[in-house]
Order: sequence, then structure tokens, then C-alpha cells
Amino acid sequence: MTHVSLDRPAVNPRALPELVVDRIWRFFCSVRAAIAEIAILALLVLAGTLRGSSVPRTIADTLPFATPLVERWYAWDVFRSLPFASILTVLAVAIAICTINRAPGIWQAIAHPTVVTTHGFLRNAETSATFASALSAPELASQLQDALRAGRYRTIGEERSGEVHLYADRWRYSRLATFPFHLALIMILAGGIVGAAWGFRDNDFIIPEGSVRELGHGTGLTVRLDDFSEVYREDGTPLVYRSDVTIMKNGDTVNTGSMTVNNPLTFGDVVFYQSGFGQAVALKIEDSAGEVLFDDALPLGPFQSKLNPDAPAARMDLVPAGVAMSIVAPDENPANAPELDTLRLRPGDMFFMIRPLGADSPIAAPIGATVSQGESIELGDLSLTFVRERRFSVLQVARNPGIPLFIAASVLLVGGLAVTFYFPHRRIRAIVSPTPGGSEAQLAPVARRDWSAKRVFEQVAGDVGRRIGLESHLRMNEPSPIGEASYRVVAPP
Amino acid sequence: MESLVRLSFYFFAAATIALVTSAACYLVYAVGRIRLRHTALTTSAGTTVVSHGASLEPASLGIGRFATLLAWFGVAFQGISILLRTIAAGRLPLSNMYEFSSTFILLAGLVYLVFERWYGVRQLGAIVLPLIVAMATYVWLLPSDLREVDALIPALQNRPLMTIHVSMAILAYATFAVAFAAAVLFLIANRWRVTWLPGPDLLDDLAFRAVTIGFPALSLVLILGSVWAYRAWGTYWQWDPKETSALFTWLIYGVYLHTRSLRGWRGNRSAAILLVAFAAVVFTYFGNYIFGGLHAYGGV
Repeated sequence: MTHVSLDRPAVNPRALPELVVDRIWRFFCSVRAAIAEIAILALLVLAGTLRGSSVPRTIADTLPFATPLVERWYAWDVFRSLPFASILTVLAVAIAICTINRAPGIWQAIAHPTVVTTHGFLRNAETSATFASALSAPELASQLQDALRAGRYRTIGEERSGEVHLYADRWRYSRLATFPFHLALIMILAGGIVGAAWGFRDNDFIIPEGSVRELGHGTGLTVRLDDFSEVYREDGTPLVYRSDVTIMKNGDTVNTGSMTVNNPLTFGDVVFYQSGFGQAVALKIEDSAGEVLFDDALPLGPFQSKLNPDAPAARMDLVPAGVAMSIVAPDENPANAPELDTLRLRPGDMFFMIRPLGADSPIAAPIGATVSQGESIELGDLSLTFVRERRFSVLQVARNPGIPLFIAASVLLVGGLAVTFYFPHRRIRAIVSPTPGGSEAQLAPVARRDWSAKRVFEQVAGDVGRRIGLESHLRMNEPSPIGEASYRVVAPP
Repeated sequence: MESLVRLSFYFFAAATIALVTSAACYLVYAVGRIRLRHTALTTSAGTTVVSHGASLEPASLGIGRFATLLAWFGVAFQGISILLRTIAAGRLPLSNMYEFSSTFILLAGLVYLVFERWYGVRQLGAIVLPLIVAMATYVWLLPSDLREVDALIPALQNRPLMTIHVSMAILAYATFAVAFAAAVLFLIANRWRVTWLPGPDLLDDLAFRAVTIGFPALSLVLILGSVWAYRAWGTYWQWDPKETSALFTWLIYGVYLHTRSLRGWRGNRSAAILLVAFAAVVFTYFGNYIFGGLHAYGGV
């Protein structure tokens, strides 16, 4: 008589912290969650990309009620937002935890694969091969192993109930390639953090020709632009522009060189890039006592003058003299909106104007004058010399200690992908059974819904047959329709 | 140089004719032929009733072979066109939308023909070739001044990086076009059970193989683009719309690969992801029409 107990086995209740840690761990290990995280990241990237396009404006024009939403969209800097940073962080953590979680299983499959299989697996395989031989089962198994080894397959055999179970695989270490690939993604993120935290970047480091500028950022470097040159094509677009610079530290020249776009100049870990250029004016300004207030070049461009909004212009405050000075150059394209040009300057001329700065300014009203290159004039109490026109160069200067991480990550990422895709882990399972006439071996690949793996197996089966001098009988099981197929990839029996 | 550029254009015109004809033949081959049946029945009253019927049957192999031959002609003409332009420009033609799309036509045709040979699937051409023809039509519609060979602007003057970075982008897009075609064909074959179309397993595998070429190529595009950006602009990532749209595409194909390899997704769901992913490719390809940014060189 059998006694059945309906009492549930006693379960040790787990502590809440343990339960929470377990849940968090499971969340980060979940493939479904990882896919959702990638999908959310993709949507945020799409939102950020479209923000830089005319699409939101088109939506607002088509659907006026959506205008407030579109304006919020334009105002939202997606790539510097908290949700974006959060999803990147979650994804990075998920990659790390998932990798740690998968490592033992992958290593187990590589180092200690399950050898014993079932007749059911072989019977239901979508493709399989059978070899009949007069040899005994162990002898045929041995021949099969030799033939598979000749095809660069690793083979492992195990005897079970008079049958020999075989496992053969090739490129097993390619399963490890997922780790460098995912590590690379974390390293790229880490590279970005390292660069932002310990590097610097100056997008508008402007130096007029002949002038010296301090770089700052704790480098102790100063840079002098010795020469700037540009070559134009017939249609007026720039072909080459180049800056020749001298880099100094504590007054001593430590490096000289030139840079063009795509050919930066490197000094130590600081890199100088050619970014842009424009017109500058070299000036000398003295006060009535003969003290030099300014003797340098001033870039023209970022400032707009009401006297001619189209023309390159600049403004500077001469605080010791109590005035603000604005400078306007001749119009570069006089045909464009000529009605706005109230100055009508000739090439080689420059318009200077001083305005009161502060309550105790020595002048009560603006004073302006047009000056030709090389001439000096008196503007109020100031003596101004328009030395010459010059060019200024816009450099970008950066130090990014995250670059080595990025380069290493790139190699790992591409290498990991290449190994994963082009050297896939191929596996074959077999059972060699004794028969009245000798033995029979049935082989099948672990290749469900994998058309390529099945073709490779058929080729391997043919090669094995030729090597052991037996004809292989291939059998195909028509796979069921896969219209809605979805299954978990599980370890074979 | 001008005569070489003109000759290059004539070869492009010849390629267009060959590809258009090839696309038509592939369509005929894939759709099959309509067979009309007339059956005459004599009734007991002595009258004759004729029944009419029509059915679809596989097209003859000859039209398929002819389509492949024409596609090879198209690819060869386009190859000569690109070669002549390369000689004229002293570099691979990759710097504006005309050159980019012309090279895409060549690579997409070549990638398709390689897959046709690997898998022995000719019906795929009924989707890939019309895509290539659509691209050729787009090239014809581009402003004619883009057909001239111009010197590179300073930002593009890095021939090794430009060659590899842009070529990889074209290779990625070409293989994604093949994957897209396989996904569409899969959905058709699976929905209507057209017996002479390739099996769903094969199409599913073909699409996956195409992505296993395209995805690493797109990864290289992002990496080499970053390296180039670092050399030219001092930062390897600027969140430029072209960069982020390529990243978006990469992420969608990442979803496809993860769902396929880790969740075991096959069939309709995988095919649907590939359709979305190819929409992202088209968005990235033509994105410069809706956003500016640092990649606004000659429309590329």
C-alpha cells in the first residue's frame, strides 16, 4: 500500500534582503529585460535624432495642437537627460551581471559538455545521418571519432548500456567571444566617462596671427599662431586651411608645427585641431599718458554691428580708459542686403567707434572714425593705430584620456563579433548501437531551425562516410511551420 | 578627365537598363506564370459547356537564368562606371550622394548575386533588384551638378578613413537590403504557402547570414567614423544626427540578433524586426534631407 502525503515540504523562508538581491539579480540577468532596455535606448536615440531634424516642426505644422509638445521636444536635450543616462547605466550593469551569470554555463558547455544523448533527440532532429557497419559498436564509434577528428572536431565518447554516446564539436571557444563584445560596450561607456572626468575640450580656442594665447586647463601651455594660410577653389569654397603654431611652456618653445583639418598637432597628451578661421585686426591703443592699453590682434566675426550687420565686427571693453570700442570691417559681400550697410567702407579701411563705459567715462557720446591700414588717429583721449588686417584661426584643443579605452574596446567589439558570427560553435551528437549485423551509428547536429548548420552537418556526414568507407543515409524531418515559432534555447538532452 | 566622367555616366546608364530589365525578369520568375485552363464538357443534352480556370505555376528556369545574367551585366557596367570615375577623381567615388548611391548600386547588386549563388535562391532578386532600380532612379533624379567630380573639402581629406568608413556603410546597407528582401519573401512564403518559393528556414537563415555581415560592417562604420571624428574634430562622438541615426539602426539590428540567438525568435517576429530595421537604414541613408549636422557633405 502506498501512502501519499499532501503536506508541503518545509521551505526555509528567505530573508527580505536576500530576496531583494535575488530579484534584482534576476532582473539584470533577464534576456527579456535586456531586449526591452535596448529597445528603450533605441527609442530615446530616435527621439534625440529627430530632435535635430525638421520632423518635429513638420508635426507641429500639420497638427497645431501638438505644438506645445513639439516645443518641449526641441527643448529636451535627450542625450544629456536623466532617462538616457539611466538607461545606459542599467544596460551597462545588465551587461556586466548577465556576463557574470552566463560565464559558468558557457564554460561548462566548452570544458565539460553533456555527452549522453537520447534516441528521441536523434529521431526528432531535423536532419540526421545513419551509418551501418559490420564492426562492433565500440569499433565503429572509434572510427567515427577518428573521422570527426580529421575534420577538426573534438570528440568525447561515453559507453552507456552497451551503446556508445558521442559528442563532437568545433570552434567551441567561439562561445567566449560574447564576453569581449559585451565588455567592449562597457569599455566604450567607461571611455566616455574617463574622457569627461579627466580630460578637457576647448571648442573655440581663437588665436589671431602673431598673437599668443594661454591654453589653461592646468596645462601651463601657451600657443602662438605664427601663420595662417588658406587655399580656395574656383567656386570660393576652402580647399585647405592651415595654422602654423609655436607651443610654449613657461616661456620656452617646446614644439612647433602645423595643423590642417584631419591632421591635428599633438603635444604630449594635448591635441590641437584646425577648426575654422576668420578675419582679425591688429591694433595698438594708447591713452593720453602714452600707456599702451592694447597691442594685439582682435578677431572679427562673432559681434554684429548695427552699422552693418553683414560685416565682420568686434567689440571690446577698455575698462581703464572707461570706453567700449567697436570695430567694423568692410562688407565681405556688398551685394547682399546693401541697404543695411551704412558705412560703405573700402577694402583696407576699418571703422572704429568708442562709446562711454560706466558712469565716470571721459566721453559723453560715441565717437567714430574710418581708418586706413597703417594709419593712426585720435579718438577722444585715445591714440589708435590700425596696424594691419590679419587672419585668426579657430582651434579645438582637447585632452582625452579615455581614447586608449575606446581603441581597445573597438578591437574587442569587432573581434568578438567576427568570432561569434564566422566561427559558430558546431555540435554533433551520436549514438552507436549494436545491431544483429554489427552496429549502427546515428548522428545529428544541434541545429534546430539553423539551415546553415544543417548544411554543414550534411557535408560533415558525407566526409565522415568517405573517411570510414561507409555510405551515409541522410534523413530529413520537415520542420514544422515557423510562422509564429518561438522557443527558449535550452541545453540539448 | 571630363570625358572619363561622361563615359562613366554612360556606363551607369547602361547598368540602369540592364538592372531594370533584370528586375522585370526576376519579378516574372518569382510571381510565376498564369496557366489558363479550358475544359470542354458535353452534357447529356448534347450541348458543350466550356469551363475556364487559371492557376499560378512556377515560371520557367530560363527567365530566372536570364534575370541573373542581366543582373551580372548590370553589376559589370556599374563596376566599370565606378572604375572610370575612380580614375577621373583619383579616389573612390564616395564623397556626395551621387557617388555614394552609385557605389551602393554596385555593392547591393554584387552582394545580392553572391547570396543568390550561395543559397541558390533566385526569387530574392524580385525584391532586391527593384530596390536597386529605385536607387538608380533616385540617382537619375539628383541634380546634374553632383555628377561632376569635385575636389574634396578639407573635412573629407582623409582618403584611407573615408574609403573604409563609407565603403563599410555601403556594404552594411547592401547586406541589410538582402536581409530585408529575405524577410519580405519569408512573410510572403509563410503567409500564402507559395510552393515554389524557398523554404522559410532557408529564408530565415539567409536573412540572418546577411545581418551577420552587415552588423559587423555597421559596427566598423561607427568605430571608424569615431576614429575619423577624433582626428578631424577632436572628439570621437558628437551626437550628430547622422551618428545617432546609425546608432539607432545598430541598436535595432542588435535587438534582432539578441531576440534570435538568446530568445530563439524565428519566423514572423524576426522578419518584422528586419522590416523595422531596414526602415531605420532608409532613415539613416536619406536622413540628411531632414537634418543637417556635421555629415551634410553633398547630401551624404
